[in-house]
Amino acid sequence: MPLFHTFFKTLVGKEMTIELKNNLLIHGTLISVDQFLNIKLDKISVPDPDKYPQFLSIKNCFVRGSVIRYIHLPPSEVDPTSLQEATRKEAMQSKMQQ
Amino acid sequence: MSKKQTPSDFLKQITGKPVLVKLNSGADYRGILMCLDGYMNIALEQTEEYMNGELRNKYGDTLIRGNNVLYISTQKKKDVVLFE
Amino acid sequence: MATSEEQPPTTQPFTLEDPLDLIRLSLDERIYVKLRNNRELRGRLHAYDQHLNMILGDVEEVRTQIEVDEETMEEIFKTQKRNFPMLYVRGDGIILMSPPEKPTY
Repeated sequence: MPLFHTFFKTLVGKEMTIELKNNLLIHGTLISVDQFLNIKLDKISVPDPDKYPQFLSIKNCFVRGSVIRYIHLPPSEVDPTSLQEATRKEAMQSKMQQ
Repeated sequence: MSKKQTPSDFLKQITGKPVLVKLNSGADYRGILMCLDGYMNIALEQTEEYMNGELRNKYGDTLIRGNNVLYISTQKKKDVVLFE
Repeated sequence: MATSEEQPPTTQPFTLEDPLDLIRLSLDERIYVKLRNNRELRGRLHAYDQHLNMILGDVEEVRTQIEVDEETMEEIFKTQKRNFPMLYVRGDGIILMSPPEKPTY
């Protein structure tokens, strides 16, 4: 079932940019992810620190999964073939449960 | 024929028929209902998208995410005569 | 596979049983996704789940803003584009998805 949870666990230690539903972009290194796809980032930065001075003093943060719109992923760390395989497998499993 | 009809009886009856799907946003989608599930996720074919009554887009097949759906109605008007 | 015996077979060669089959059949295809806030995405579908969370590759996002000319009352569509090599999209923002053209069943 937890395809995306499993996927994001493989990206721990990698850099990515989280785009929130309020349009804020947070760049950082993935520390951890849970089943709700809540995310902890370390070494964070925002593109416009003057606009968000509160981020100057923050080094890491916890982002609630539900406020995330996109996550810009590092393409070199993503294997499309294995993702598609995992997706097909999970789709099969959820079909069996129906 | 049927005395009491449940909502799911209705939904079973209208698959394969032209329907109108209205979303919470006010947008309308007209198309042939391929199928739907308990979340009201809806698959349509020959879909037309209307905003404020104006045709905005056409899609071959579409999957509409159920949480956006306000209602599904059988489509009486229009010139889509396929099942007569 | 259980077959329903009450109903005669339909004339259509193929009928979907589950709306999510439409997205399953679009894996590794370029799909169109319509999101809230007048956002549209086009990209190759690499992964999805039952919430319609997705991972798309080679993505183009188009944001459309409608401005109304006060004098002529004309609607002016302004679009902004962005590109992403690899993008996770949270499913709760999705309104609809569509395969590029009729998939070959």
